[in-house]
Amino acid sequence: MDSPTSVAGAAGAAGAAGGPAIALDGLGKKFRLTHDRNWTLKATMLAGHRTRYEEFWALRDVTFDIPHGSTFGIIGGNGSGKSTLLKVLAGILRADEGTASANGRLSALLELGAGFHPELTGRENIYLNGAILGFTARDIRQRFDDIVGFAELDQFIDEPVRNYSSGMYVRLGFSVAIHVEPEILLVDEVLAVGDHTFQRRCLERFDRLRDEGRTIVVVSHDLDMIGWLCERTAWINRGGLAAIGPSGEVIEAFVAGGEGALDSGPAAAGLLSLQGLGPDDLVRSVELLDTNGQTLPAATSGGPVTFRVRYDAHRVGEAAIVALGLYRADGTHVTSINSGAAAAAAGSDGIVEVDYHLAALPVQPGTYELSVALHDTTMKKVFERHTHLVRFSVEPGGGDHQTGLVALGGTWQAQADGA
Amino acid sequence: MAETGAQPRSQTRSRRRTWQDMMTLLHTDLLINLTLRDLRSQYKRSALGWTWSVLNPLVAVVVYSAVFSLFLRIQPSVGNPSGLDSYAVFLLVTLLPWQFFVTSLTGATRAITSNSSLITKIYFPRWVLPTSAVLARFITLLVEMAVLLVVIALWEGHIAFQWIPVVLALMVLQLLFTVGLALMISAANVYFRDIQHFLNVAMQPWMFLTPILYPLNLVPSDRELFGFSYRTLYQLNPMVSWAKAYRNVLYDLRFPSAERWLGIFIAAGVVLALGFRVFNRLEPRMAEEV
Repeated sequence: MDSPTSVAGAAGAAGAAGGPAIALDGLGKKFRLTHDRNWTLKATMLAGHRTRYEEFWALRDVTFDIPHGSTFGIIGGNGSGKSTLLKVLAGILRADEGTASANGRLSALLELGAGFHPELTGRENIYLNGAILGFTARDIRQRFDDIVGFAELDQFIDEPVRNYSSGMYVRLGFSVAIHVEPEILLVDEVLAVGDHTFQRRCLERFDRLRDEGRTIVVVSHDLDMIGWLCERTAWINRGGLAAIGPSGEVIEAFVAGGEGALDSGPAAAGLLSLQGLGPDDLVRSVELLDTNGQTLPAATSGGPVTFRVRYDAHRVGEAAIVALGLYRADGTHVTSINSGAAAAAAGSDGIVEVDYHLAALPVQPGTYELSVALHDTTMKKVFERHTHLVRFSVEPGGGDHQTGLVALGGTWQAQADGA
Repeated sequence: MAETGAQPRSQTRSRRRTWQDMMTLLHTDLLINLTLRDLRSQYKRSALGWTWSVLNPLVAVVVYSAVFSLFLRIQPSVGNPSGLDSYAVFLLVTLLPWQFFVTSLTGATRAITSNSSLITKIYFPRWVLPTSAVLARFITLLVEMAVLLVVIALWEGHIAFQWIPVVLALMVLQLLFTVGLALMISAANVYFRDIQHFLNVAMQPWMFLTPILYPLNLVPSDRELFGFSYRTLYQLNPMVSWAKAYRNVLYDLRFPSAERWLGIFIAAGVVLALGFRVFNRLEPRMAEEV
């Protein structure tokens, strides 16, 4: 009664064959983008089989192997297809082209506690969730105490889970999934939730699973975590494999080549428009300027820079506050700032130009994205919000070699004491 | 001696193995857990709880008895050979299975769409969702029928209990029929949300075109439509066979005719097979469309 799936799950013991844990061969997955979706029977009858839709390949021609007993990372920008890839591997979506085959019992952590029913108790939900993940009641009984212990929910296990805090919910979900003892574990961004203590324990658990020779595949925006958790990483870009290899190299290529992989805009402008502003938008332009008011091709780490936002104050009709959000290309939030009264003072006539000066841009070289929003003076109302409006690069600014997120801009001093 | 001794043991082992394989194939644990989920959550946070499942048929019997027996004076046929003559019992033996059928289908229609968060996050065979929705109602039906049988036994004595295996067989066949239909409807509802509204409209006339509130012999057999008698056309409705068979067993206390059994077996087999076929065809894109 199981309909055939391209993912051959639960096929024998792990590593028995010595082949890869997961093999992707020319994998392709397309989605239909219907412009007028036929939600009704009548519409379909009238349209016959000529339902109009566009095909969109979320994944195309992806071929690579994930070796047994390794920890493997998958990175990529938003909408690159990496989550689709994971869902195909998990058997949730069916491949339209090629094959994805898993050799071993597979468990996917796409959302913790997805199968929980709020009205049921923690105990009942453990059995329910375990059954959904393919466990028998006896399997669960044997591991029940471990599951509850790991989730630290001994006191609350007979409470309905609707009374759980989100942290408790997530802990229970993770605990059930991890005790299924999969040979291959697929993890999608789930570690972003839960407090630090729990995250650390999850990572310890991953280490243990890896030591036991199990395969772990992690999809994440957190490049730092991928960097130290995974031996090898694949970079998925626009539904295709952009790079694969040791994690450090792939992440470096991803961070450096972030903009190269996108539609190449006018590089001289310094700012690559990710969305474009329409004539109806209140925000007219965003620019990157040097100290003389000249447009910059790129910002420099530790160097001076000015962000200039121009907006149509006349159409806003009242005083406004400009807010900027700075993000690294991988999605990491660097900072958000707003102009406060400074921009509001410009009033509500014509086009208003708001500058944000930085004497020394305190971020590491890399690719960054800027979000722009217009608020009223109470910050309660949003006139307009453009998330990830433009992308720009920050060039190395000389000085000593640094890594991480910020450029502190400090100076070193060394001297011998006494003598 | 040792060899002959080993023979039966390996046979039991292989039989147990086959049994386990079948349980795995049917995802028994998952079915049980999802059925329990439906049953447990059904009356959570309601003051009367399970009393509601008793009140529902009770109110229906009182209302239908008043309207059809008292006002419209429909005569239930006297049970043959039981001699039973009670509109309430006449009604209940078909009404309870019918209500199981209706609530199963309405519940199963949304079984896929209302579990979209589950379907887009975890892979498991999706057919267990509508099936467990039907199973949960089946448990309720078992309890109701047990109570009804005790009531009938008060009239007829313990001879009524002899019919338990036959009633169970009828119920299981109806379960298979309902699961088949539930699979088709739940899968189709993912693509066409009209199905759930259509179902609400269709169930009422279907009930009136099934001999639940009145005996089958009130349907005219002497008048014709397209060369077929009304009675013949009427019996194309598969639920007629079940209603008639339930009434034979529980009201008349006699074995249904071979003709009825044939109709019931064919309907259950065909609809179940068709249900899985349709479901498997529509399953691959479910996670995208739901």
